Amino acid sequence: MSTQVNREQIKGMLKAHKPRMKRYLSHCMHCSLCAESCFLYMKNDKDPRYMPSYKVLNSLGKLYRKGGRVDRAFLEDIKEIVWKNCVLCKRCYCPVGVDIPAMIAFARSICRSQGVHPDEEQSWL
Amino acid sequence: MAQFVAFIKGPMVWIAFGVFFAGLIIQGWRFFTMSRKKDLAYIPGTEKKKKKKKKKSKKAKAKPKKKKTIMERLQPLIAFADKRWDNLENSMFRIHPLVSVVTIIFHVFLFVIPIFLLAHNELFRSAFGFSLPSLSDQTTDMLTIIFLLCGGFFLYRRIFVRRVRAITTWWDFVMLAVTLTPFITGFMAFRQWGDYPTVMLAHIISGELMLILIPFTKLGHMIYFFLYRVLIGSEYSFGQGKRAW
Repeated sequence: MSTQVNREQIKGMLKAHKPRMKRYLSHCMHCSLCAESCFLYMKNDKDPRYMPSYKVLNSLGKLYRKGGRVDRAFLEDIKEIVWKNCVLCKRCYCPVGVDIPAMIAFARSICRSQGVHPDEEQSWL
Repeated sequence: MAQFVAFIKGPMVWIAFGVFFAGLIIQGWRFFTMSRKKDLAYIPGTEKKKKKKKKKSKKAKAKPKKKKTIMERLQPLIAFADKRWDNLENSMFRIHPLVSVVTIIFHVFLFVIPIFLLAHNELFRSAFGFSLPSLSDQTTDMLTIIFLLCGGFFLYRRIFVRRVRAITTWWDFVMLAVTLTPFITGFMAFRQWGDYPTVMLAHIISGELMLILIPFTKLGHMIYFFLYRVLIGSEYSFGQGKRAW
């Protein structure tokens, strides 16, 4: 596996969805009210790392904050957040109406575009 | 200094309101240009005919999922008002009753206090020749105290509640300060606490700052809450949700 990531491709993907995703990220009020709607949060002793908002802010949020200037190690870090800590069941509820699953799915797409995804040995799914 | 004060009290007020309303219009326009009408899998208005046909042919077949009406979507709110607690299963009122109530009070008072404040309406009358109905000073004073307590509750959550702290950034504190400062300074001005001209100047500047920042920051959820929750199609939509990104 190549250790380099195609930053231009990541930047292009981020830019293509920027108006919508930036608004969603901006309008997340960091209220944590989405927490209970995530069964993984409830089943992991209410660990804040499983909150839908935490997962979005620490994956796609960081990708936008860094403007796509990321390395493979960073994508490997968020791989766990977007695949292991979220099963994309789309049950998360946001009082403001932020589409959390769409953001996680987009973060997955970016990871996948760089060949970062769970391999066969990782039995997360 | 006198020129600066005159500018803040005069043209800057109009600039702030101009940016505020123009910003809201721009954001609304951007939303409609970014989203489109959803491609519906069926032709609206034909569901009933289809249903009848299905009933005749295959009675055992599951009924097609009916779209919720707006009243059905607002059931948690109505149930809460009617104290029908059983109907609130899995709703935010049941899971977080205190946060829900505090949030609603906070947002209602955020509009009610400045719009129906007697002193603001006097300024409104001197500018336009007419004014909105006003609440008494004592009522607004009481509402402001409740509002500030609600703000304090949010601050408490940001600092002491683990799950909220986990996603809190310095910008959240800035936004909370931007929202609360006009009310704190207004409260101080009404009670004549501190140097009145300075407090009043701080009140005007903070109010103008809030108006300018609303359309372009986190506070933009003022308009986007309705756009997201009513117009964008989702399971939790309050409206018909006929638009998609």
